[in-house]
Amino acid sequence: MSLRSQTSTEGSMLLPARTSTVILGRQDYVFVLLRLIGMELYKIRRRVMSKVLGSIAIAIPILVFFLVSLSTFFVLNAPADSFAPPCQSSGGPAPSGASPNCPTPSAAQLAQARQSALRSTSEPLRLPSSLNISMQFALSAGTILIILLIGAITGGEFSIGTVRLIYTRGPTRTQFLLAKVGAAIVCIAFGILAMSIIGVLIGQALNPLSSIPQDFGFLSAGWVGQTIFYLLIAMLDWFMYAAIAIFFGILGRSTVAGIVGALTWFFVEPIVGGVLKLAGNFSPGPFGDFLKAVPDYFIGTNIGALLQNQEQYIFGGSSSSLSDFHALIVLAIYLIVLVGLAWRINKRRDVTN
Amino acid sequence: MLQEDIEAPFQSGAIISTSRLTKAFGKLIAVNDLHLQVMRGDVFGFLGPNGSGKTTTIRMLLGLIRPTAGRAVIFGMDTAQRMSSILPRIGAIVETPVFYPYLSGVDNLRVISTASGMVSGKANERRIDEVLELVELHVQAKMAYRKYSLGMKQRLGIAAALLTDPELVLLDEPTNGLDPAGMFEIRQLIHRLTALGKTIFLSSHLLNEVQQVCNRVAILQKGNLIKQGNVGELLRGSEQILVRLNEPEETQQAKHILLEAMERGANWISGVDVQLGRQGQPILHINAPKSHSAEINALLARNKLYAAELHPYEGSLEEVFLQLTTPSIPSGTRLGMAALAGSSSATQQPYSLSGIERLGDGKGGTQ
Repeated sequence: MSLRSQTSTEGSMLLPARTSTVILGRQDYVFVLLRLIGMELYKIRRRVMSKVLGSIAIAIPILVFFLVSLSTFFVLNAPADSFAPPCQSSGGPAPSGASPNCPTPSAAQLAQARQSALRSTSEPLRLPSSLNISMQFALSAGTILIILLIGAITGGEFSIGTVRLIYTRGPTRTQFLLAKVGAAIVCIAFGILAMSIIGVLIGQALNPLSSIPQDFGFLSAGWVGQTIFYLLIAMLDWFMYAAIAIFFGILGRSTVAGIVGALTWFFVEPIVGGVLKLAGNFSPGPFGDFLKAVPDYFIGTNIGALLQNQEQYIFGGSSSSLSDFHALIVLAIYLIVLVGLAWRINKRRDVTN
Repeated sequence: MLQEDIEAPFQSGAIISTSRLTKAFGKLIAVNDLHLQVMRGDVFGFLGPNGSGKTTTIRMLLGLIRPTAGRAVIFGMDTAQRMSSILPRIGAIVETPVFYPYLSGVDNLRVISTASGMVSGKANERRIDEVLELVELHVQAKMAYRKYSLGMKQRLGIAAALLTDPELVLLDEPTNGLDPAGMFEIRQLIHRLTALGKTIFLSSHLLNEVQQVCNRVAILQKGNLIKQGNVGELLRGSEQILVRLNEPEETQQAKHILLEAMERGANWISGVDVQLGRQGQPILHINAPKSHSAEINALLARNKLYAAELHPYEGSLEEVFLQLTTPSIPSGTRLGMAALAGSSSATQQPYSLSGIERLGDGKGGTQ
């Protein structure tokens, strides 16, 4: 076996050269990390679970917009008299078979009423409403899907036992954790973009059914910029729950811990927030104010505030009572604590059976 | 221990050197004060009963668990500080290898190649094919790992360990789940790796397997290192020459002659004893190097005692192990060997430790 000099600190040592078929990549920290992220994405791509979750994520907007177009279809084909304004009774009982106080609407009035109903029913098919609808489903059902995925890819390493295999290959535990985080970010970005774009495209494809043309009057550089921010906030929403799944997956060393921990947080936090607000209303004085203020420091509340503050520029509406600055600070603290604790536990813990 | 005390052995060729390595899980001390030295090119057998601390030691060497005290130096680097520089030069199997069940064998190796610092994509496909062929898994390479048999999983583990062509290969019970042919292949593989200059650290409780492939061993019991050294040297102390004569009286007579020879200065004889063989026949056990077989035969013949059978017995690691780990078994006791049946230790079937422990309990096999 050929020998070559070693370059690092143990200079006196001779290393046997590896066989020529072993091709090592660059070993800088960032390159190793990027390769590990690629490895995580490869595993995700090859997993049946992620294919199922991805299919569900794609099916959701398709299903939603088909339902909207179905109701548009019904409005379009409903009988004309079903669009007559409701009768206003103004006195004693009307003689049988007649409605003297309800004038029969003209054909033009019925057509206008149909058009109005059609416009409102088919509104979700057109931009910007279609984006809003897509994102509402992404932020609810989509969050559950990302929790399932990230909980599985993190906790699964411990459940299956592959953590032993991975931790003995060279890269540091920190790099492996960062690779999970990096893979989660890629999945989140891909998921949010896919769900929003598919929703908008399906909406646009089904909108001709309503015969109401898409009005692009809202479209401006400002609107596009605000929408990009909005999508980034939606990604942050997913990432917060992904971070919770990573934290619990590592803490509990199992897929179940990662998924259940994050889902519990997702579902229980709004309930706790509502209960605290209610309790605050019944408890006058500073304690009541305190109880009412506690939910302002919850993940869901702050993500909701960021989204609402952004939605006003895209879809209209009012801003949240919480500022973007407050929300970002609170979320940043959560992220630092969740990822920091996951890092700390992962770095120090013994890998046993 | 001072820094130079532990790093000095490395300068003289030690690949692994541990100093007072200790691991406690609460009150349980799994590994206690372990001093270990594995030299470059060694096939180092790491022996011990289940629960003796073998896997814990390997986990500490690989950075999976932190030592409670002491330190380990591999390639001259402290594992506590330089693990990310050490690991790429090691290939390891820790207990039963576990891979991603939803990936095929080849996909698992692709993932591991990336985790091991090899470039992604097609560049390393040739190497992956090489190791798959080496462990004869190339036919089932695309089969999902979850469908693999235990033996196939074990072979994939070995393929993964060898993927980066490492200098040091740590194998923790690599023949678990393998049939005799598979075990033979692993032994052949270890011989090939040794010929390539690899250092092998083999943890096993199959003592016969270790004896066949290892040049040095360490024996661990209840977390304590009880013996470390060259296999040949360990076995040398347990060499015997077994003689069967036709009549029991002749056996006693032969014993006296040999004892007299000892008194007259035949210092290569360290003890003579008579034990019963399998069929109840008396067997003369002479503690002497097997190279003196002819002299013993000649000595007996001069006294008109003619050996019906003479069997130079080189001893087995199994016996050395049991004598070291089971105080109730007296030195020189033969356990589980096919004495006088023409079987050498090299052709004996391997014994599992559990089986040996039963023997050690006096429940059978002791002659």
